[in-house]
Amino acid sequence: MGTCIHKWEMADIRYGYLVVEGCTRCKGRSSFFSTEVVAPIDEYQEGEHFWAYFGSSQAVKFNLKCTECGKTTKLDDMVGLMMSTCDDPQCDVARIAKKEGRGTWVYVALCADSTHSSGKCVSEESIEALNEYFNQNIKVPGKKILIVPCSQCCSVDRCKGIVLADTGLTEIY
Amino acid sequence: MKLSELEKKSGLKAVNQYTDMEIEGVYISDMVSDIITNAKANVILITLQTHKSLIAAANLVDVAAIVFTKGKKPAEDVVELASKAGIALFSTEVDTWVFASKLIELGIK
Repeated sequence: MGTCIHKWEMADIRYGYLVVEGCTRCKGRSSFFSTEVVAPIDEYQEGEHFWAYFGSSQAVKFNLKCTECGKTTKLDDMVGLMMSTCDDPQCDVARIAKKEGRGTWVYVALCADSTHSSGKCVSEESIEALNEYFNQNIKVPGKKILIVPCSQCCSVDRCKGIVLADTGLTEIY
Repeated sequence: MKLSELEKKSGLKAVNQYTDMEIEGVYISDMVSDIITNAKANVILITLQTHKSLIAAANLVDVAAIVFTKGKKPAEDVVELASKAGIALFSTEVDTWVFASKLIELGIK
């Protein structure tokens, strides 16, 4: 099992909403995935935080399962992905992208708590599985997808990127 | 079929300069979350959506080309991002159904 060269496929695919909330006191952001028919809009107190609804977009959650050994990597700690376009020299993600050079596309795996006050982010195991999954099917020579945890972003407010979510979809028609 | 052949045979208009390549299928979607989970590498994606997040999703799953139907035109920064990612962009005046029917006539499935 430990020597398996994993061949990942998506499993437990769930479609729903990525709901973003902001604390009116500490300015931190929190997000969660909701599978309710309509995205929940609430304002509530949680410890020292006063969470207010910021917005929501249609999104997807999934796990990764190896078709060879059956191992499943749960991606419960990830709420979304963001293509990094950050060029802030103080940002680790921007530095990684610059170091990797042309052909490598850095995507940030976003966890639920932008403040990382708990010390947690998307786990190393999840990041490793995501990197293996998104690179195993690439056909363009020299192209590489590099997924990094959002704890490496300089700041959720400053770090530039394109979040992979269906924001404003109803406005296109 | 190669992208250049498809461009000629289906009357597509190229939106950016592209590297010619063999396409391996078609996927139709207007949702980023759907593209991430279902589109495969080297397919052409048919869509109405012209948002940047579509390019970010298409790049993640290695989509070869995107066809915008009903005359939809992406903004300049969207074209720039797609070109950087090596994703060919095309537009067509016809709607998604008519264009999909044309692809079937051409033997692309």
